[in-house]
Amino acid sequence: MEILLIPSLFALLALFVPGKVVRVFGLVGGLASVILTCVLVCKFQQNGGQAVTFFELAQNNFGFTSKMGYDGIGLFMIILTNVITFIILLSNFNREVAQNKLFTAMLFLMQAALLGVFTSMDGLLFYIFWEISLIPIFIIALSFGGSDRKRTLTKFFIYTFVGSLAMLASLIAIKSYATSFAIEDLMAVELSSKVAFWIFGGFFLAFAIKIPLFPFHTWQPSTYSTAPMAGTMLLSALMLKMALYGMIRWMVPLAPEALNDFQYPIIVLGIIGVVYAGVIAIKQSDMKRLFAFASISHVGLIAAGIIIFDKENLTAALIQMFNHSLVAVGLFLSVDILEKRMGTRKLEELGGVAKLAPKFGFMFAALALASVSVPFTSGFIGEFLLLKGLYSYHWVVGLIAGTTLVLGAVYTLRAYQLSMYGAPKMASFEDLTWNEWLAYFIIMAIIVIVGVCPQMIIDTVGPSIDQLLESYKISNTIIK
Amino acid sequence: MDALIVIFLSGLISLFVAFTKKPILVLLTSSIGILAAIGLFIAQWNNPVTLFSYEGLEFTNSAILYSIAACIFGLFSILVGYNIYSKQPEHTGEYISLMVFSLVGAVCMLAFTDMFMFFLGLEILSIPIYVMAGTKKSDLRSSEASLKYFLMGAFATGVLLFGIAWTYGATGSFKLTEIATAISTASETGQSSILYVGILLILASFLFKVGAAPFHFWSPDVYEGSPNTVTGFMAAVVKLGAFGAFYKIFNVAFPEVHGFWAPAIMVLAVVTMFIGNLSALSQVHFKRLLAYSSITHVGYALLTIITVSSNSEANLWVYLFGYGFSIIALVTIAQLLNDDEDKIDAFKGLAKRSPFLAAVAVLSLLSLAGVPPLIGFFGKYLVFSEAFTQYPILVIVAIANSGIGVYYYLKTIIAIFQKEDVSEEKIEIPSLQVVVLSICALTILVGGLVLSQYKML
Repeated sequence: MEILLIPSLFALLALFVPGKVVRVFGLVGGLASVILTCVLVCKFQQNGGQAVTFFELAQNNFGFTSKMGYDGIGLFMIILTNVITFIILLSNFNREVAQNKLFTAMLFLMQAALLGVFTSMDGLLFYIFWEISLIPIFIIALSFGGSDRKRTLTKFFIYTFVGSLAMLASLIAIKSYATSFAIEDLMAVELSSKVAFWIFGGFFLAFAIKIPLFPFHTWQPSTYSTAPMAGTMLLSALMLKMALYGMIRWMVPLAPEALNDFQYPIIVLGIIGVVYAGVIAIKQSDMKRLFAFASISHVGLIAAGIIIFDKENLTAALIQMFNHSLVAVGLFLSVDILEKRMGTRKLEELGGVAKLAPKFGFMFAALALASVSVPFTSGFIGEFLLLKGLYSYHWVVGLIAGTTLVLGAVYTLRAYQLSMYGAPKMASFEDLTWNEWLAYFIIMAIIVIVGVCPQMIIDTVGPSIDQLLESYKISNTIIK
Repeated sequence: MDALIVIFLSGLISLFVAFTKKPILVLLTSSIGILAAIGLFIAQWNNPVTLFSYEGLEFTNSAILYSIAACIFGLFSILVGYNIYSKQPEHTGEYISLMVFSLVGAVCMLAFTDMFMFFLGLEILSIPIYVMAGTKKSDLRSSEASLKYFLMGAFATGVLLFGIAWTYGATGSFKLTEIATAISTASETGQSSILYVGILLILASFLFKVGAAPFHFWSPDVYEGSPNTVTGFMAAVVKLGAFGAFYKIFNVAFPEVHGFWAPAIMVLAVVTMFIGNLSALSQVHFKRLLAYSSITHVGYALLTIITVSSNSEANLWVYLFGYGFSIIALVTIAQLLNDDEDKIDAFKGLAKRSPFLAAVAVLSLLSLAGVPPLIGFFGKYLVFSEAFTQYPILVIVAIANSGIGVYYYLKTIIAIFQKEDVSEEKIEIPSLQVVVLSICALTILVGGLVLSQYKML
């Protein structure tokens, strides 16, 4: 429970601390969650990886149990959330927004909502946290975002809200067959294939919009480029992971009967996203938009991997989710550093930064390489395993998905080259400040550690994935 | 019963206290009276007290639950309106006691057992509101609202009486339970067609009272023209009373012919949702926006009337309870903004001008939009999930409508956070408003989570 209480408490207190210390206060809050996460991981390992339930109320009259807990996958997402939130707070430390109370409060509220999503073991509770997470990100983007935010954010909010309503409809529908909202009860429900199709479809709409999968992605590039740095980081690093996690935990296990109907279309959509967004990213001149499209391209691959739904692909997808979060945070930080110091993020107007700011040049280069999945980075492990999985599903799929490696290299290196090399277009460029350097360092350290020994993650999530697949198989054999 | 008398007496005393020309005394007597009534209601939970041997009113648990909500909303309306009323000390007594008397009508409408008492309650509820709608005498729109509401209301009352008469003709009784018995006895031999005419007429007048399509045309004009407090009172208390009575008459007296009236309500619920939502999309006046959004909410609430379930009445209550808090908070904030034209643009920059008001407004709007974990979400969830097993398509239409609705709530929220070209002037909030808004915000925030833990009825 303390895992949720700490961010909620910090969110509340952030509104009342004096303006000068609010950024230090934010950092302390982020650190507190990270330390707590370490404690939880140790405890989890001591208990041999048993699923933990830390909160439960008696079932009420309409089957709402408020059950919360986590297994290996949940713990993995908790680690991700808390680490990324800390990095976001750290990289914002010398920005103006960090001194804003509302911003800090909303960031912590976001963290609490995300942790809620990842620890809910009750369908309705999952939905509640899922929706709560929309509010802080909306307020952050609305209060601190760039131009044209009214239109963009209205589109973003309505898009995601409509998707969530589809999920609510699915939850109501599946609940009408079950005794309570607890995940075991919902999973035990046997559905006819027609009903399962609609329920799966409702979940899919919600998740496809949030991920976003082609053709539900139209809100994403403009929202990413309008939102302030922290907002973009939250959106790309954490919010879309909610949807990928939702696919693993809720969508497929709840209506496995419809998996066969949806598997092929989702893989196709994912692959289209990989190629389509990759090609568009190559042509972008706005760096933030470029990385926004790059994000669509990467998550398309992850979604396609998840929906194959076997152990290898799920593990790979989780590693790649982790990697994508770190890389996205790093890349958007780089874009923001360029934008803050140069006043633009257009590729034509940038150039030669590497000469003036060697530290920044090095870190950005390292991240760019991690983004194109060079060996010894976590991206290599995740992407390689995913492509292998897709290839064994069907060789054509694997082949098309494989273009992500080429496309990724083209757009990432092009962006790096145009912005960092060539003749300097400015007189001076302030190199990294300590907090930016530290943020980069943490990101790179984790990327390399995971890249060298991914076994840590595989061991954490492995047993839980086995368990998940087993219950899925059981419900599948009942149908057959 | 005794609570009802207490409310009535407090209204009467307030009227006489007003001769002292000290508004604060009027406020005190009326609020103490209503608070005492709430206390009496709570004491009678599961333990009904009968005074006299009168059978026209019966305070069952459901009647008590609805009455408590009505009293809370009535009290809030009086409290937030006080600052305006007290500017004219010679009229404060009338304004406040009219509201209290209207509340008496609402309670009668929630506790009746026969058509006679129901009709009486409806009239006691409505007549003070016709007057109150016109209390902004210098404003032409207020007079328009008053006249329009009165004419339409009188017409609807006529239709209702006509319907009651036809029903009496078919069943030979005014008592709800006797009507139900008569209908079920007659169902073996075939219903008299007179009954169906009666039911349709009663239905029409109810749809008018709650403001459902196609009888909704009065509500935007009346909401816009009336003083804000009265708008809040109408949206919270009158809706509560009308829906309580609606549910009771159709599910106590006419359940046997459910198959006859349910399809009609089903179709009208869908029409109501769409008309409310689509008209709200392009509104620029805030209270008109609220009026159209309230039409949509009526559409959702109508689902409970047709859902045959033991939980429906409690679900309807949770829905209206949450709705009432949001709407009272919003009209109070609109009143504090003090914009004569009542434009949504008046909300621009509220986050800067008064963070407290902005927070309450955002909470209320999100609750109306149905964002969890606010009380509006739980209301909606309960209504939809209960109806789902019987009317799956209807529920999906309703959920889709919630998606449309979010646009216009969002429009206001975006205005609240706007930073460009806004006035920097801070807003002064009188302490009564702070209290009411804080209670509203707290209820909206945690009310849903708390209420969902209990079985209400």
